[in-house]
Amino acid sequence: MGSPGLRLALDPGNKNHPMKNQESVLIDSASDFHKVTAQPRTSIEVQNVTVSFPTPKGTFTAVKDINLTIRKGEIVSLIGHSGCGKSTLMGTISGMAQPTGGQVVANGKKVTGPGPDRGIVFQNYSLLPWLSVYRNIYEAVDSVMKDKTRAEKREHVEQNLKMVNLYAHKDKLPGQLSGGMKQRVAIARAFAINPSILLLDEPFGALDALTKSAMHVELLKLWNLDHREKTIVMVTHDIEEAIFLSDRVVVMSDGPAATIREIVDVPLERPRNKKEIVHHPAYMEIHDRLLSLLIDKYSIEDYKD
Amino acid sequence: MQTIKFMLRGVLYFSGGMLLLLGVWAAIAWLNRNPEATELADKYPLPTPLMTFDVLKEIFTQPFQDDPDVKGIGVKLWGSLLRVLVGFGLGSLVAVPLGLLLGSSRVLMNLVNPVVQILRPVSPLAWYPLGLAVFSATNHGGEGLLNPSSKAAIFMIFICSLWPTLINTAFGVASIPQDHKNVGRAFGFSLWKYLTRILLPYCLPHIITGLKLSIGVAWMVIVAGEMLSGGAGLGFFVWEEGFNAGKVTHIIVAIFIIGIVGFVLDKIFSLLQKAFSY
Ligand SMILES: Nc1ncnc2c1ncn2[C@@H]1O[C@H](COP(=O)(O)OP(=O)(O)OP(=O)(O)O)[C@@H](O)[C@H]1O
Ligand SMILES: [Mg+2]
Repeated sequence: MGSPGLRLALDPGNKNHPMKNQESVLIDSASDFHKVTAQPRTSIEVQNVTVSFPTPKGTFTAVKDINLTIRKGEIVSLIGHSGCGKSTLMGTISGMAQPTGGQVVANGKKVTGPGPDRGIVFQNYSLLPWLSVYRNIYEAVDSVMKDKTRAEKREHVEQNLKMVNLYAHKDKLPGQLSGGMKQRVAIARAFAINPSILLLDEPFGALDALTKSAMHVELLKLWNLDHREKTIVMVTHDIEEAIFLSDRVVVMSDGPAATIREIVDVPLERPRNKKEIVHHPAYMEIHDRLLSLLIDKYSIEDYKD
Repeated sequence: MQTIKFMLRGVLYFSGGMLLLLGVWAAIAWLNRNPEATELADKYPLPTPLMTFDVLKEIFTQPFQDDPDVKGIGVKLWGSLLRVLVGFGLGSLVAVPLGLLLGSSRVLMNLVNPVVQILRPVSPLAWYPLGLAVFSATNHGGEGLLNPSSKAAIFMIFICSLWPTLINTAFGVASIPQDHKNVGRAFGFSLWKYLTRILLPYCLPHIITGLKLSIGVAWMVIVAGEMLSGGAGLGFFVWEEGFNAGKVTHIIVAIFIIGIVGFVLDKIFSLLQKAFSY
């Protein structure tokens, strides 16, 4: 949440801001006007981050010397082969893991641990199996939004449950849910604490194409609702998803000691239409680029064997 | 419908097993008979099921008789149960929090583990004389449950019901999956929230397993303890009114009562286990 004082004065997302209405109509993602003047801050800075794990066979370096700067309100996808270190990198941003070298700065502060300004969707959902869907979200909300009343928190949780279309299942235990439903609970939980940075590790991986599309729309809706102030970093294996959602796609090289292979810009205008966008020449170019970056790797591997 | 069928099958199997037991028992009693004897009790050194059943009816005519010199079987059973529950309750009150502590702190675990490993294999009966000696020396003239031998029995139960709960609880805490801990960290749970929403719910099945093992041991040990202490309880019944009075039927009746009560105690904890498996 950065410095609240500054936000109050300058944040056009604030309801009291006199210029809010004019601005939010005028501004789209292509124009960074208000961000440049009012919020010149970057949201996340990954500086020379290296993560190594001690193993019985010596140190294993998963990612090495990663540098990445993400602007406030940007949507960035991380893409790369399985095991290259995407979750590891996300861990250093979320604060769940400490980098062995370098540092991460989020919202102007060095990351030393998880914080309420960063909402995390874990790759394996991480729901508490003895709490109902509702309680899983409520406990997180209760712990982060301390100054809200019980009724407000309940209202807030229910709203988020409706957003992921799980209100009817709110009393079920995680064990009674399908994989996709669990994933949606995890998403609702991360959204519910209203963080300025959302860190999503393959958030839509277990969903069918239809639900996935609906969740994409929900994600963008949420992002728009907050005047595109939220920064979203997302790991995905889905090229189409990455292009549709992101401003930039970060392609990682294979591990060990993985680094950023290339950052591909997605300068497609928002709002984007899923059906139309695929016929856009820029889209096809980006798609081809990403595909060759990823497939290229595969073919090299194939020759090695 | 399905559950009724399931229960019916359970009852059938149970009855079948009991019939099998009675059959084997009757056969052994018959093979072991003494044809020359005239008295029924002498003719069957191992009493038959029927003879035992007659005695059972007699014992249960006045189960709750509570005169100074004559105590009904119900009173004795209640005495044993009370000692077990008090000892087990006190033991659990110590074992669960201690187990939670040991499971969360490697240092404490390393410190206390050797002590547990040495004390755990000691037969609970060995603690009885220790308890009796200490409680007799500091006797303040307690009555009933509070007389020295009863206190020593409770102490013995306390000690023996400590270990399974302690070990299972500590193991439970130590095995909380990283995923669950991550939830607490990621969403900034307070210590209280972590304890009540993550640690305790996760450990509860382990704790209940420990309690179930503990109460099983406690119930097994109380009978032996009361044979040592004398004066009260089912163990005393077996020894005094059964063996010393030369009434084998009484011993067998007592064995059945002990078995059934133990079974019920175990069932209660099995139900708890079921209720807390997620
Ligand atoms: N705790 C750990 N100890 C040792 N090695 C680890 C640890 N965590 C991750 N690694 C290694 O680091 C590498 C990167 O793992 P990571 O989970 O970040 O991959 P990923 O890109 O998220 O893969 P996926 O797409 O399959 O989720 C892997 O080779 C993995 O074996
Ligand atoms: Mg991963």
